[in-house]
Amino acid sequence: MAAAAPPSLSFPRPVFAKLSPHPYLLRTLAPQVSPDTPTPKPSRTNGRAPHEARPVYIHTSSLSHAHGSALVRVGDTTVICGVRGEILPVTSIPQYRPRADFGEDDDEETRRAGRGELKDYDLLVPNIELATGCAPQFLPGVPPSTLAQTISTRVYSLLHSCAVVDAKNLRIWASPVVTKPTGCDDDADKMEEDDEEEEEKPELVAYWVLYVDILVVSFDGNPFDAAWMAVLAALRDTKLPVVTWDSDRGVAFCSRNAEKRKLQIKGLPVACTAAVFLEKEHGSETSGEENNRHWILLDPDRSEETLCGETITMVVDCEGGETRLRSLEKQGGTVIGRELIRGFAGVAEKRWREVKGAMSK
Amino acid sequence: MTDRRRINGPVGATIPLVFEDVEDYEQVATKAARSRAPNAVRKMYLKTGVTPSASGSAYLEIETSGKGGVSGLKLSCTVYGPRSLPRSSPFSPHIILSTHVKYAPFATKQRRGYLRDPAERDLGSHLEAALRGAIIADRWPKSGVDIIVSIIEGDQDRETSKTQGDEAWDIMNALSGCITVASAALADAGIDCVDTVAGGVAALVRDTADSSPSIVVDPIPSEHEKILASCCVAYLPTRNEVTNLWYKGDLPASDMELYTKLVEKGIQASTNANRVLLECLGETVN
Repeated sequence: MAAAAPPSLSFPRPVFAKLSPHPYLLRTLAPQVSPDTPTPKPSRTNGRAPHEARPVYIHTSSLSHAHGSALVRVGDTTVICGVRGEILPVTSIPQYRPRADFGEDDDEETRRAGRGELKDYDLLVPNIELATGCAPQFLPGVPPSTLAQTISTRVYSLLHSCAVVDAKNLRIWASPVVTKPTGCDDDADKMEEDDEEEEEKPELVAYWVLYVDILVVSFDGNPFDAAWMAVLAALRDTKLPVVTWDSDRGVAFCSRNAEKRKLQIKGLPVACTAAVFLEKEHGSETSGEENNRHWILLDPDRSEETLCGETITMVVDCEGGETRLRSLEKQGGTVIGRELIRGFAGVAEKRWREVKGAMSK
Repeated sequence: MTDRRRINGPVGATIPLVFEDVEDYEQVATKAARSRAPNAVRKMYLKTGVTPSASGSAYLEIETSGKGGVSGLKLSCTVYGPRSLPRSSPFSPHIILSTHVKYAPFATKQRRGYLRDPAERDLGSHLEAALRGAIIADRWPKSGVDIIVSIIEGDQDRETSKTQGDEAWDIMNALSGCITVASAALADAGIDCVDTVAGGVAALVRDTADSSPSIVVDPIPSEHEKILASCCVAYLPTRNEVTNLWYKGDLPASDMELYTKLVEKGIQASTNANRVLLECLGETVN
């Protein structure tokens, strides 16, 4: 029997990355210094610097059945979002409380009341579908995973807390029926009729309900940032048809020819997520002085997400010059403290400008 | 019963939009007749490797008919496997296919729910039948492969206000697209097949109320006055075999020739799709 060649002891990089991902990422982030070779620049396994996010690509209005749609690609994560409006007559809202005053002026109180309407009548319905075979762990035919439920809930609460959509845009009004005097077709009478109509106060008859459906086509980490970006881009793209209310039948008709109304979106909150990678592998016994370094990896991909326990998500809005913090979430771990969070705001600002550039393209 | 794992929206039922009929609009709509030759298929775009984490994946897009509100078909398919079956499953001497076809909620004129409905399950079983004939199944005993197709956009006219029972005919186009895209994804995953299988649709249509019916390939239901019968074929060109045949409609049973002609036209559409498929796979290899 011919002797087989002795097996080589060096594996190519992908094999190491698969066999022991934690030491592999550690070695690329903290390259060992040797005197004869120049120190390589610390980078992640995917070639990015720790504070480097993946470029964003956004394409809007590619779907014809949705009223607004967006496709967002962040690296290998691809998300499609479609917004569809349906009509909810006030008669089918169980606990409908008619409001006497709808202030036209944009003061704080009317806006808060509008927010109440959005929440009380559930006018925004975001849902994410992860079980599309977008990654090996998300196969269809099962109920939504914890991650899918978490993302749906986070998008839902962020939509309400940021007040991106104003309830004013979702109200459908009807002018009250004017009893038509029989047998007069004169212009003068018509004019009179119009005058009467203007005097009468229009009545709130229905609301638009926006179904925001998010479909993940390809999953490679950081689903929340991509999903939120897709939701925002799709909402900014949304155009709702003009509706006329038929009070006799209680049905709303959409006009085909009239110009569609663009949904007004307030602000541009952008989510920015980072994960904390610890030098000490979870569960390992060794503890020393030099063994507690950490790296903050912006926009983690799928392999990095599995290695990191602590994540931070910051939602900032720099529209109008100053940076406003919209939401801050931090889970697991004890590394990120006050100073790091303050520093992270700068990173999030930079990300905001990148996303803003991609949105306006 | 409400789905407690999703956000369900308002308790009261919401009404999908109803468009008012504009008289001159209807005339415009009926005038948008088929501009292609009866035996010409629409252009399609196929690309493999859209989902890098899957074993194989493909994306298929069929162009719109040039008219405004008609959407083209957009499909994305991922393949996972071959992988070992779970321990609890009984011994199988060949690979077990499991297919899932799901419409996205925004894919059609009416909003779709998140749970698979019977029509989607039916599409899944037809797709499985079409692929089973192409895969060399006994090369992988005790293993399984998952084929998942998401219909991102269905082939439906958005503008026609009355549904003329189009749904049933649209499903044929969707199935033929599913077969083609799944075949590309299977090849991308490196699963051995005897041949690439592609889908094709042919239909017997009537353009005006009193004209005689004619056969067209790759029909768009909104372009014709009425579709009498439709047939979706999954065909292996080098073996000259049909792996799945789905026929709908009513034809006189005595007219065998018409029936054969319909299948023949379906095969013709399928070979056209197959050409695109081969070209796409060739590009990936090079």
